[in-house]
Amino acid sequence: MRREAWACDMPMAESWNPQVCRTLCDTHVTDRDSVHILSPAPRLPLFSSRSEVTPPLRSRAQEGAGLVLVVTNCQEKIQHWMKVDNDYNALQERLSTLPDKLSYNIMVPFGPFAFMPGKLVHTNEVTVLLGDNWFAKCSAKQAVGLVEHRKEHVRKTIDDLKKVMKNFESRIEFTEDLQKMSDAAGDIVDIREEIKSDFEFKGKHRIAHKPHSKPKTSGIFEADFANDVKSKDLLADKELWARLEELERQEELLGELDSKPDPVVADGEDTTSSEEEKEDPKTDMNAMCQVTDSLDPSSCHTDITNAQLFNGQVNSQLNCSLNGSVSYQNNEDDDEEEENGDDGDNENDHDTLGAGDNSIPTIYFSHTVEPKRVRINTGKNTTLKFSEKKEEAKRKRKNSSGSGHSTQELPTIRTPADIYRVFVDIVNGEYVPRKSILKSRSRENSVCSDTSESSAAEFDDRRGVLRSLSCDEATWSDASESILEEEPQENHQKKLLPLSGTLEAFSGTVIEKEFFSSSLTPHQAIAHPVLPTIPERKEVLSHVPEETVKRVSRFKAARLQQKN
Amino acid sequence: MPGRGVHPEDSAVPVPAGGRTLHKEDLCNKIKEQKVVVDELSNLKKNRRVYRQQQNSNIFFLADRTEMLSESKNILDELKKEYQEIENSEKSSIKK
Repeated sequence: MRREAWACDMPMAESWNPQVCRTLCDTHVTDRDSVHILSPAPRLPLFSSRSEVTPPLRSRAQEGAGLVLVVTNCQEKIQHWMKVDNDYNALQERLSTLPDKLSYNIMVPFGPFAFMPGKLVHTNEVTVLLGDNWFAKCSAKQAVGLVEHRKEHVRKTIDDLKKVMKNFESRIEFTEDLQKMSDAAGDIVDIREEIKSDFEFKGKHRIAHKPHSKPKTSGIFEADFANDVKSKDLLADKELWARLEELERQEELLGELDSKPDPVVADGEDTTSSEEEKEDPKTDMNAMCQVTDSLDPSSCHTDITNAQLFNGQVNSQLNCSLNGSVSYQNNEDDDEEEENGDDGDNENDHDTLGAGDNSIPTIYFSHTVEPKRVRINTGKNTTLKFSEKKEEAKRKRKNSSGSGHSTQELPTIRTPADIYRVFVDIVNGEYVPRKSILKSRSRENSVCSDTSESSAAEFDDRRGVLRSLSCDEATWSDASESILEEEPQENHQKKLLPLSGTLEAFSGTVIEKEFFSSSLTPHQAIAHPVLPTIPERKEVLSHVPEETVKRVSRFKAARLQQKN
Repeated sequence: MPGRGVHPEDSAVPVPAGGRTLHKEDLCNKIKEQKVVVDELSNLKKNRRVYRQQQNSNIFFLADRTEMLSESKNILDELKKEYQEIENSEKSSIKK
């Protein structure tokens, strides 16, 4: 039994000669070294700096706790380093006695839990881990020297830690002494400043800021007033009263400013103003609304009504376009709902309709709506909804194209979206009539231009694209249908102008149409949105030769002539 | 017969740690452990082999059973002495 075991142990002994033992010992130690050499360095300076910053009287409890914490930390580290030192001592002892014998009978670890009897040979040959998986082969004596070197480092760190601990212990004693002094003699007082109150104050400020409403402002004002009064207490009564009067005046002024948003003041103006506003150019509407609160209540009401009527459909962005249609009802409802809209600060919250606050923002947007729609829409909810959808579609298109001039919409149609709007407004009463107009228009002119089959193919492609873009809008689909109808006609007239293939600015064509007649505009307008580029052109071109080239913009006319 | 390894490692710890006054509880625990070691070693058969673990490593060196027994006994005595000293000092401090 034994013999076999030994035989089998021999190779193992080779592998597990003192070198391995040494490496094992070293790896453990070196790992600790790496960890612990790093850890004390960054931490200690932090603690020391903190201790320096904190004045002794500030909060003894905290500082004392901090100091104690530092001390305990140091103690733990010292303990650890002591253990490392202890390990090195054992290793050194073993190394020093290792070469005494030629071979040692050992139990060779076979993994963490298994052992195997073996023999340790080459007792005077050791590999030392230098770090980063680099090993140095050396004799046991040299290894002892290396261990001694490391032990020095360990001792040094332990000494440093002890010094730090001593230092902090002295500090702790100092703070304790201070506490004793304060307890014993009344001369030394502990001044404590509570931070909690500060935080509360800040919080209040923020809260007040948000509402931006009268009550808040009034509250602030009152606070100021109170402070002023206090400061003036020392002054003579006359001065104080004069001061008070001054403050009152100021308060009145501020109060007026604040009161503007109130519905009561604005009520008389609201009904009239809302209508007036509709007709007014929308350019500055937003700024106006925000500045002048008198307009707000009406707008608020309109928003509320809108939201109520169209709940899901109304989005913050959509409000602008929708406003016109809805505004009419708003005017009607204004009287009823005027009471509701007091605070307009929360403009963005359309979802929360309950209070006037939410509605206020929407109101502004609503005012931006064009006057035309308002007239047209008079009264019908269903029609209004329809118009809303259309407008939404227009907006989307505007956004996508980036060519939306909402402000100039009334007289001049610059963009396809504008045309579309105008058209909608005119036809607004009913959806169908608009379609008919398009059809009739195309038939009358027998326009349709068109240039070439290739262009027709392009149409189809574009139509597909447009549909994908437009998605939901019924208007889009209608337009596409109208286009389809027009296409055959266009094919007939292909000969007219090959030029149509070239891309031109959309605005130019539209302008021309307006000049011709108001009735014509809608048709073109519709056509344009659907087929922004090519179809318009074709029509334009056809018109140009038929009616009057002169009316066309000079640039265009010149271009056309050159091309011809 | 393959010997069974006894771990007198614990006994080695307190010796180098001398100078540090260990806590009473630690001392108690170590004394208990040492007692167990001594009992185990004293009850071993004569032909059993005893291995001593190299500190901080996983290697066990073959050691002499009788030597280990005596060593562990010595360590136990030292521990007991230390414990007594601590107790005495505590008593004296209480009296004062």
